[in-house]
This record gives sequence, C-alpha cells and structure tokens, in this order.
Amino acid sequence: MSREVFTLRHVGVGFRRDAIRARSLKYAVASWFGGEAPEAHAALADVSLSIAAGERVGIIGRNGAGKSTLLRVLAGVIIPQRGQVAVAPDRRIVPLLELGVGFQPDLSGIENCMLASTLFGVTGARMRNRLEHIAAFAEIGAFLHEPVRHYSSGMYARLAFALAFDVEPDVLLIDEVLGVGDEFFMAKCLARVRDLVSSGVTAVFVSHDLDFLQANCERLIWLDHGRAVMDGDPAAVARLYRERRGVFEH
Amino acid sequence: MRFTWMYAASQLRLRHRYTALGVTWNLLEPLLYLAVLSVVFSYVNRMPIADYAVFLFSGLVPWRYFEKVVSTSTDAIVQGDWLLKSLPASPMSLPLSRWLVASAEFGFSFGALALVLLFVKDRWTIHVIVLPLSMLPWALAALGVGLCCATLFTFFRDVRPVVQLALMFAFFTAPILFHPDLFPPGSAQARLLGWHPLTYLAALFQKPLYMGRWPTAVDWTVSWTAALASLALGLSALHWARPRLYFYL
Repeated sequence: MSREVFTLRHVGVGFRRDAIRARSLKYAVASWFGGEAPEAHAALADVSLSIAAGERVGIIGRNGAGKSTLLRVLAGVIIPQRGQVAVAPDRRIVPLLELGVGFQPDLSGIENCMLASTLFGVTGARMRNRLEHIAAFAEIGAFLHEPVRHYSSGMYARLAFALAFDVEPDVLLIDEVLGVGDEFFMAKCLARVRDLVSSGVTAVFVSHDLDFLQANCERLIWLDHGRAVMDGDPAAVARLYRERRGVFEH
Repeated sequence: MRFTWMYAASQLRLRHRYTALGVTWNLLEPLLYLAVLSVVFSYVNRMPIADYAVFLFSGLVPWRYFEKVVSTSTDAIVQGDWLLKSLPASPMSLPLSRWLVASAEFGFSFGALALVLLFVKDRWTIHVIVLPLSMLPWALAALGVGLCCATLFTFFRDVRPVVQLALMFAFFTAPILFHPDLFPPGSAQARLLGWHPLTYLAALFQKPLYMGRWPTAVDWTVSWTAALASLALGLSALHWARPRLYFYL
C-alpha cells in the first residue's frame, strides 16, 4: 500500500485578474463578444510533489507565492484547472485554512462543532460526548453557547483548534493560524500538534515563521511565483530562502 | 447528506430564535397571511369566482413554496462562502438545505391552509387525498430552478433582479390569481395558458381542492416533465460549475 497521502502532478491554478468585474453579466457579455481572453494570474504553475503519511511539511514563500492556494488544493477546497491531485482514500483531512473550520457565523460554538463534525465523518453521539472536552481545551467558557459572530479572532481560533484536534485527524493542514491566539494557548496547541504528529498524523504548515517551521518540520517546500523551487531539508531551504530574501530567481 | 439535514435544521431554528413567539411563527405567519388575503378577496374585492379564497389558496400556497425555494436558493452558494472556502464540502448542500427549510415551512403553510379552509370551504371531496402527491412535482421543479439560479448567481450577480422579475412574470401570467376558464376556448390568452407549465402544476392543487375532481393525465405528465427537466438542468449546471465556483465566491 502506498504511503503517499497527497500526490500532485503538474498542478496549475490560475485566478482571473478581472474576477470581480467578471461577476457582472454586462461585463461577461462584453468579454464574450469582445473575444479577448481574460488575463490570468498563475497562483500555482506546474507543481508536482508528494507528501507521505506521517510527514511534517512546511510551505514557505513570499506573499502571493501560492502557499495558501497549494494548501487549499491539498484540502480539496480548490479544484485545480490543470494537472492531477491524488489523495489517499479514507483519510480524515482537517484543514485550518481560515480562522474557523467552516464556522457559520450565526450559529453558536456548540452548533458549529456539531455541524462541522458531520463534514469530518464524526457521529453526532461522539461529538456530543466530546463537547465538554472541546470546551475545556478551547477555554472559552460560556461563549460556547453564543453565536461565533461575537467571538474575538483568538476565541474563533481556539474553538477551531480544539475541534480540529478532537476529531482525530489523519492529516492536519494549517494555514498561518498559529499566530492568532495568545502565547500560552499557542504553546498548548503546538504541544498537541507534536503529540498528533508523533502518533503518525501528517501535518502541513503554511507560515512565514521560519524558526517555527525549522523546529517542527522535517521538510520545507519553497514556493516562488507559484512554482515549487526548492524542496528538502528545512535548514538548507530556510538558509537559501533567507539569503535570497524569498526570491529564487533574480 | 447528514450535514445538509443538520444545517437545514439549524437554519429553521435560527429563523425565529430571537423572537418572542419562537417557532410558533412558522405556523402563525402563513396563517395570518392567508387570513388577511381571505378578508381582502372575499369581502373587500368581492372577486367573481365562487369561493375565491379557496381557489386562490389552492394555487397560492404551492406557488409561495416554489417562489421561496427559488429566491432563497439564489444566493445560497455565495452566502455559503464560509463553508466552501474552508472545507471540501459539496456546494449542492447549500441550495439543498434552503430547499429543505422551505419544504418544512411549506408543511406549516399547508397546516395553516387546512385550518383556514375549515372555516371558508363548504364542500370537501375525496380528491384532496392526492395533494401530497401533487406536491412532488412542485418540490422537484423548485429544487431544479433553485439550483440553476444558485449557479448563475455565483457567476453573475445581476441575476437576482432578473430572477425576481421572472418569478413575478410567471406568477401573474399563471392561473393562480385568475381562473383558467376566464378566457374563451381558442382565444390567444387560452392558447398561451396552455403553454404555461404553471397552468398544469397549479391544476394539481386547484382541481382536487377547489373543483373537487382529479387532476388529468395531461396535468400530471406536463408537471412531471417540467419538474424532471428543471431538476436535470439544475444538477447539470451545478456539476459543470463545481470546479469553477471557488474563484467567484
């Protein structure tokens, strides 16, 4: 059986530069009749890589390099326009892409936990049993009964982490959210991440914090202009990344 | 599917969460709506159709359901960006949950209709037993049109006023406010009504409830064909759009 959790072959994702205007019917009709192809920004270009089960991978790159897009492709949130993405079946992939884990702002913390758990294949009975544990980990007290719309960004992240850790993930995808909570909560989260990783959970981090990634990952992937320009030992990748100030080709 | 059920249930609870009467509004709202219309059309306007209130409600209640599904589904995918940008959820679950919420509300409206009819309808016939079956083509047609509108709205935000205009046009040209026999047979208006799918969909309710007879084979055939065609179109549109949706949210 293959150990690969993700295998990407020549993956390409492009965003239209006129995406906002393109939502207008008038603009769309004018573009059709104008015959000009819309200008596209390549967020990912010809990316091929694989991530094995149990690996701790960090993704680095300057703003707009394609890190978050790559993580969304791995999560299945973005379906790439080019290339193939193969994901090992029966893996519980838990993405922490934005602050929440798919939280509906008008629902309470508890309702959101129950709702999100259905998407992770966790039964309602199990989730009800775990709510107390989630509440204890998140340390948000009675706010668990309030709509998440009223949460601070730190509380939002606390609940998201507590839920993500509790649904027994096989793969964790974490995008820049480790810096949101306070220092003590983040230390607790990192300890939990390390526990999960030592038990075989695959983790992919997107971060600008090179020290954190070097300390917690066994592999770094450097993205530049949508391309995976370097992939390997964290110390070596981080050193070159710093030397070149994040730009692979000058 | 479990997500869709749970999300629909939460939306239903959320609707009246901060109101004094809570879920009672689900029944009270259609009841008051029908009561006001009964008074207006039976006593103020004095429409020429006998039992006008019964005639009106038999077409209006399923129409209101259809209209609710279509109008609430239209922005379902765009409003669901909190989900589609964070988790690999099926976009289908968003309009589907709006459809479920509207269907539950239709259940309450139907209960309200039964209550109102107990007061205003003189004669009851066995034909009313077909009504649950009459609802199916309405439900499938609404879901299909709702899926089409949700997909279109994601790509083109000016679709909403067009949808509202189209709904208004469909409503005022269908025999819901006026009796289909209003126009002489062979007239241009009667021929146009013959081409209007809502004529047949409305007949599935009007005939058993108001006229005291079974819907005809033509009523069933046209209604089911329209319902299945719109559902197939809606599913195909969403299937085609799925890889593209993220870029327009």
